[in-house]
Amino acid sequence: MSAPAHNVHEDVAAYALGVLDEEEHQAFEQHLLSCEKCQVELRELSEVPDLLDALRERRSDALSEDRTSH
Amino acid sequence: MKTNDDRILVEDLYQEFGASLLRYVRKATGNDLQWAEDVVQETLLRAWQNAGKLRRERGLLWAWLLTVARRIIIDDRRRRGVRPQEVEPAEPDAVSTPDGSERSLEAMIVSEALQELSQEHREAIEHTYLRDRTIGEAAEILGIPPGTVKSRLYYGIRALRGILKEKGVAS
Repeated sequence: MSAPAHNVHEDVAAYALGVLDEEEHQAFEQHLLSCEKCQVELRELSEVPDLLDALRERRSDALSEDRTSH
Repeated sequence: MKTNDDRILVEDLYQEFGASLLRYVRKATGNDLQWAEDVVQETLLRAWQNAGKLRRERGLLWAWLLTVARRIIIDDRRRRGVRPQEVEPAEPDAVSTPDGSERSLEAMIVSEALQELSQEHREAIEHTYLRDRTIGEAAEILGIPPGTVKSRLYYGIRALRGILKEKGVAS
């Protein structure tokens, strides 16, 4: 039994976050330019990375405070 | 061969999004102005390369420009071998922007929202974006196929966006 075929539209999240490997990133970008469904989803997800960045910033602040306090 | 139409589009993009894009990129680069300007320039160059294929719809263009800019920043960071946790904190003056407390609130809400996700979804987000890893790297660490990571990340991010929308921080 083979693994279920990967759904290319699902790559939109990884693409929006910039975590695809270079080759896949390029490939998805080409797909995006002709896929209206993915364009709509990219729009919908576009605020999420910045909100996750807020959490990353807080973690990195906490880490540097931790370092300076020792 | 680029047509006049493409050139006009890039000028329009710059006019319409240049300032907002620079603001976003400055924030994402820890207020490194030189780096931020390079990122904006590179983003608009890539936009130009794909100008003919993009639908000219404001929300989509903005979402795409943000994605391109973010990818450039991530690539730069990887090239420099800097993980997000090791980024030098910006000067206190530079980070104490008027929206500093709003940013902390967002961080808190995001942290709570992540807790509401299933463990699989939370892990997929944590081991990729939050730790600055690619899908391939995360798949190896989690011991699952890359396709599974992508799928969990997709459903996880969609669920997260839904929760953030409910909490009033995403639209």
